[in-house]
Amino acid sequence: MRRKRLLVALCAILSVGCISSVSAQETAKAALAPPVGLSPADKTAIQVFEKQVKQYVELRNKARETAPKLSKDSTPEQIQAYRTALELSLRNARPNAKRGDVFRPEAAEYIRRTLKNEFQGKDRKDLRETIFETETQGVVLRVNYPYAQSAELSEMPATLLTKLPQLPKEVRYRFVGRNMLLVDRESNLIIDFMPDALP
Amino acid sequence: MRRFQIHKLLIAFLITATLSCPAFAQKLATNNAHGAAPKLTLPLKEGSLRFAVIGDTGSGTEKQREVGDMMVQYHQAFPFEFVLMMGDNLYGGEAPQDFEKKFAEPYKALLDQKIKFYATLGNHDLALQTHYENFNMNGKEYYRFKKGNVAFYSLNSNYMDKKQVQWLEDELSRDTSAWKVCFFHHPPYSSAQKHGSDSQLREVVEPIFVKYGVDVVLTGHDHVYERIKPQKGIYYFVSGAGGKLRTGDVKDSSLLTEKAYDRDLHFMLFEVAGDQMYFQAVSRTGETIDSGVITRRKK
Repeated sequence: MRRKRLLVALCAILSVGCISSVSAQETAKAALAPPVGLSPADKTAIQVFEKQVKQYVELRNKARETAPKLSKDSTPEQIQAYRTALELSLRNARPNAKRGDVFRPEAAEYIRRTLKNEFQGKDRKDLRETIFETETQGVVLRVNYPYAQSAELSEMPATLLTKLPQLPKEVRYRFVGRNMLLVDRESNLIIDFMPDALP
Repeated sequence: MRRFQIHKLLIAFLITATLSCPAFAQKLATNNAHGAAPKLTLPLKEGSLRFAVIGDTGSGTEKQREVGDMMVQYHQAFPFEFVLMMGDNLYGGEAPQDFEKKFAEPYKALLDQKIKFYATLGNHDLALQTHYENFNMNGKEYYRFKKGNVAFYSLNSNYMDKKQVQWLEDELSRDTSAWKVCFFHHPPYSSAQKHGSDSQLREVVEPIFVKYGVDVVLTGHDHVYERIKPQKGIYYFVSGAGGKLRTGDVKDSSLLTEKAYDRDLHFMLFEVAGDQMYFQAVSRTGETIDSGVITRRKK
């Protein structure tokens, strides 16, 4: 009898755990839902884009090996030394980098369309307001050059990030006016950019 | 000539009194530059968790320094263990001298007392700040730590991507802490005219906060103080004037506002004791601009 009660209690605990876990996944799913209705051409464009990004990440991680190691409790001097070394190393590793290397025409077209489709009406107005209030004076749009340290970084709207192709942790999307950039997270180098991406 | 002599006499008296009477020296130390001693509204309960909050600090101005000085004075009366930073920790550059002028110097007295600062990234902060020894981010743009019965979640609202959302949901779903506090830069609710409520961020994070019983959300970005009327049971604060101020920026007619202050810089103090979280917002000059208590919801 006692063993039976114990079994019932164990089952109850397990089912609460499962319900909690399932509902956690459901909430995440709602927020993280991918764009629906991807055509084969879009899928290919995204795959090619992700491949280009992956190649960049492999190159940058190799280039990073020449930079001094950075601990989790570094001094400002160590941080600066690391950033400078990484930037130099990356620029040397991609001497011929140019606009469109990563944002190939197909991927650029897909991203432009996503921005246009996903952000309409009030959402588009909010998105544009968020982007345009960012003070980006001093940013020179040039591949393989650093994003100006003194300039503000545009917030990437959370709802938009759920719709764009996912990036590895080393790389970030960023807006400067209507232009969309890909930047290196640590060195802040502009990897590539797409002019007039925002509708 | 006579005035000069009076000044000399006064200085002599102060030196003598300070040297001969420790109580007088202590009283002198706790008085702020504007002549008022810290006026605590917090209960100072035994065994309580005490912390401070500052946001949008990294201007390197004299006024930022004055906020730091006032925090030191309040720390004497209310020994807080750590400080949460709401982002925009360094404006306009991140060379070693920027870290010094905009952070280490203004808070030197607190750092010397081994008070820990836990930072989050704002829209003026580069990612490598996560490796700075005094920001205690351990190289991570979003992280969790626990003190007593309170779990703190520092989020990167500049870049709320799928990975971060998933991490947040996973962590919160198994968090059994009595209190859950999230802090990040962009405010889901704000009555300031410059930026205001970040509705896109809110759309993604609010359902998660509600679902997993987040109690309090602390933010910055708008250079004002605002306590928002509880939204879906959650208490939201904007504390974005620790080093920069946007005077008169809060909309007078906002239905969101419980209490707002946009006339001077400020910082906040919190005390958690059991099911109560007490708070006090203090201006640069030591004036209490808001205070109250939050009672934990039954979950």
